[in-house]
Amino acid sequence: MSCSFTEKISSLIDGELAQAEAREVERHVLTCAECEQVKTDFLSLRSQIAGFETAANPAITNRELNRILSRGDRVSARGLRWGWSTPAIAFATMLVVGAIVGLIWYQNSSNTNPNNVVAHVASPTPPPSVERNDQPQPEASPKEPEASPKETKNPEREPSAKPKKPLVREPKAGEQFALVTEPVDPIAAPERVRPADAQTLTAIHIEKSETLLVAFRNVRLNTATSDAEVAYERKRARQLVQQNMILRREADASGDVQIASLLESLQPILLDIANLPDKPDSNAVRTIRERVERKNIVPLLQVNSAALARALDD
Amino acid sequence: MASEDDEFTMLFQDFYPSLCRFLECLLGGRAPLAQDLAQESFLQLHRTAWGTLPPGEARFWLYRVARNLAINEFRKSNTRYRLFDRVVEAMRPVARNPEQEYETRERKTLVLEMLQTLPEDQRTALLLREQEQLSYREIGEVMKVSESKVKVDIFRARASLRERWGKRAKTAVSAS
Repeated sequence: MSCSFTEKISSLIDGELAQAEAREVERHVLTCAECEQVKTDFLSLRSQIAGFETAANPAITNRELNRILSRGDRVSARGLRWGWSTPAIAFATMLVVGAIVGLIWYQNSSNTNPNNVVAHVASPTPPPSVERNDQPQPEASPKEPEASPKETKNPEREPSAKPKKPLVREPKAGEQFALVTEPVDPIAAPERVRPADAQTLTAIHIEKSETLLVAFRNVRLNTATSDAEVAYERKRARQLVQQNMILRREADASGDVQIASLLESLQPILLDIANLPDKPDSNAVRTIRERVERKNIVPLLQVNSAALARALDD
Repeated sequence: MASEDDEFTMLFQDFYPSLCRFLECLLGGRAPLAQDLAQESFLQLHRTAWGTLPPGEARFWLYRVARNLAINEFRKSNTRYRLFDRVVEAMRPVARNPEQEYETRERKTLVLEMLQTLPEDQRTALLLREQEQLSYREIGEVMKVSESKVKVDIFRARASLRERWGKRAKTAVSAS
């Protein structure tokens, strides 16, 4: 192609020339046989290429779309498949986390002081919250002293503290212990979805707590001696107190307000039972029973247990 | 989430056949592979970029990803087709007779083979222009090159194909 306009013909047929330049090229094509042939050949090529029909048919198209929309986050078309399936990875993760939680629980249980569960509760390992016999003050808590300097250093955290309902609760009449908690630091404990293993542990814990409270409700009071035999219930309560604190903390961190609130209501009752003496007074047992009835704890545990079971089945 | 899926469905239905056609021509046929790569392009879009791209950018993103996937396939197979002798036969006027369907199919095959004689960047630019009617600017956005390079590539592609077509036509005439 010897004519200097031939390159512009390509842009002309693509509509990429400015209006003035396009008119000039069009006028030239009318007078140049070579450029006219070039334009004709270029347009012929266009019809050949544009007329090419793909083999994709509607049935294939819909099948591909459904595959992408339904499994697009987990399955790739080619060359991107994982060596392990996602359910296998999830199961392995659940086993590992469950083993870690179980190990922590076992270690805490083996270090339990039978005479003062509350004193052990104040040990450094888990809780942001503290229960005390007669000192609802924070000096026994390893975290409470940190809270003050934190709050002093970063006062701006307080206005930005969580929008969730507060977990601080004043001791009520008849309660032996006060529940003093710290607000969850949203920076330190970002919200996350509860893993299935935490849900499983929570479901098991709720079921055990429900069983305990039902058994405690049925404890026979010795009218002759005004005492009651609660050794088994006390032992069970001591086991459940630790787990309750761990799971409540986990629920707080993951933003599961309903479960956190339930476990928070359950905590003082478990502590009361755990701290009963060997031969408790019948009145002490009745007081705890009345509180269980007043708070409607057992039906709440049953409802949440059923809900968690459904969630795990899904 | 339902509206996002609806938008994705519309995009898929609008551009999946076009993307398949583009990839078929880019790959020199191989329709199953073209469909596979087209699906993978949409899968990557749905998985990584959907909802983050500015309006109207999804199409260019798709073609860019599809082209990159095709280039990876080229590196694997390193196959090129050079069938000059058949180019003119594909371009000559076809009589309307019972053999027309066969020749149409042959012509389609030869279009693919002819395109394979071009360098990949020229082939891509030409396909995006002729089949998708993208502007030089849009083609440059897909290929991450300047408009001037797109203009030059398209012209060179057309000139190359026209030249081969012309040579073959002269050879056929002299042979007859």
